[in-house]
Amino acid sequence: MMEVIDMNFILNTVRRMENDQSKEFSLGDSKSLVEKLAIAFINPKDFDKLNLSSKPNLKISSNFGIVIVKGIADENVPEGTVLMPISIWSNQITGIENSELIYKNLEVDVEGTKEQVDDLNSLINNIKEA
Amino acid sequence: MKRSVCSGCSLLCDDIMVKSDGIYIDEVFGACLKGKEKFDQVTSQNRILSPIIRKDETLQKASWDEALQRTVDLIKKSKKPLIYGLSNSSCEAQLKGIELAKLINGFIDSNASICQGKVLDNAVNSGITLTTITEIINKADLILLWGSNAAESIPRLLNKVLFSRGKFRMTGREIKTLIIIDPVKTASFNTMGVRDVALRITPGKDIELIKVLKEECCAADSIPSEGVAGLDKDDMKRLLQHLSGAEYGVIFVGQGLLTPQKNSNLINELLELVQMINIKQERGRITLAMMGGHFNMNGFDHVALSMYGKRGNLHFKDNQILETDENIISKIENEDFDCSIFIGTDPISHFPMSLSSKLAKKPIILIDNRNSATLQLASIVLPTVITGIECSGLAYRLDHIPIELKKIINPPSKIPTDEEILNQIIQKLKSDGGN
Repeated sequence: MMEVIDMNFILNTVRRMENDQSKEFSLGDSKSLVEKLAIAFINPKDFDKLNLSSKPNLKISSNFGIVIVKGIADENVPEGTVLMPISIWSNQITGIENSELIYKNLEVDVEGTKEQVDDLNSLINNIKEA
Repeated sequence: MKRSVCSGCSLLCDDIMVKSDGIYIDEVFGACLKGKEKFDQVTSQNRILSPIIRKDETLQKASWDEALQRTVDLIKKSKKPLIYGLSNSSCEAQLKGIELAKLINGFIDSNASICQGKVLDNAVNSGITLTTITEIINKADLILLWGSNAAESIPRLLNKVLFSRGKFRMTGREIKTLIIIDPVKTASFNTMGVRDVALRITPGKDIELIKVLKEECCAADSIPSEGVAGLDKDDMKRLLQHLSGAEYGVIFVGQGLLTPQKNSNLINELLELVQMINIKQERGRITLAMMGGHFNMNGFDHVALSMYGKRGNLHFKDNQILETDENIISKIENEDFDCSIFIGTDPISHFPMSLSSKLAKKPIILIDNRNSATLQLASIVLPTVITGIECSGLAYRLDHIPIELKKIINPPSKIPTDEEILNQIIQKLKSDGGN
């Protein structure tokens, strides 16, 4: 049985033109929403350490929640950092401290998983039922 | 072909050429990808073209009269209504939003409060040296992007301020130094030349860098030999030399600098650093500029300040404004509301789940022109026009310069503007006997 590797990362949520939530809601469909927003970028070295070639998705958990998204290797991201486009997916694991929104520099645990990426309807249902 | 202002972002480019017969837009020239997408929204498949109400737990199309009546009924039942958004609306609509909040004893705020408005809040005590795009174009020899990825968030900003040739200078890009402080090698790094400085800071360590720079301003050789925040000593010295030697420098403050820090106020520290550098400065000065995303993120501040002397967080009771330390986040977190009205924003996507789930428990009235996660949870959706394309209005550019947006085409299906919708709600509330 393969060992599950769980690493500590710093999460930063960012806006990228290619991964813009407003654009996907305006011009895209549910498939493009998942493709462009349910993703996380990590350094290729971290990608290898997490063994993501066999488990392509990332389970990212913070003190505020858990989300499953697709992992993408990006050499522009520093080691130990995970970047996510600002979206309903990233906001499953962002939070609040002292009535301030915490969108950046969040400590998260990251592991590779074969579980499916969360879809929009399940996230909306989670919000409704929380 | 007519020259138009683009409402794709807060730069409000006024050099866009649009070919249109007043009904359809044939072609748009000169807009960036973000601007082009804004124009594409006119005919988008996800455009909301008719009112929607929730009936038997499902969203169904409704007549305008029925949706408006339901909206007014919900507001009349509410004792603690919230109004939020309005950064994608004109100042005229923002004014109507405040009028509605006053009428219904509501709490109103804009997206600026969780974004660039934080800088202005902090500057109330210390002051701030702001600048304009024109000043930067004409005078700047140093441009610092700190925690901001201008190439993607305000795509034409660097074209205008970095690659332009200033009126008061004989030279352009070749005398301008670009410094980027960011943990991530963003798309903005691709605009850097040989004289520019890339500083890949350790994530979350900006505060350490600012504090050491402040110490160095007071006493030379304060920088530790091993450097700080992932930057070496020489990099930090070079950074300070550029800042204190520039004839006209501007720091573009991005979201990377707006994140709250434990035990420190990063924005205050930055404002103090700029003041200290400007005292040391012998050749010119350093200024600040904020990079709001939505096209009229600054507008609400101006409207609220001119009406009530407060930038945001307006809480009304019996026609009076209440003194409050509450903000939109604390209101939602403490569940101190019983109905929310969102205008041109998608808080269910934008806010952390702990807040979205609280919003979802109470009725949501959404005024917007496109599909969103908030629409999926709304009780009532009122469709609106795209401001700057289908209606005119005033907006404040990212440097706080007012820009008049012009209507280019008629909206589809006689959809009203944000201002008209808010006015209809106000008039109906008044005719139905108020709140």
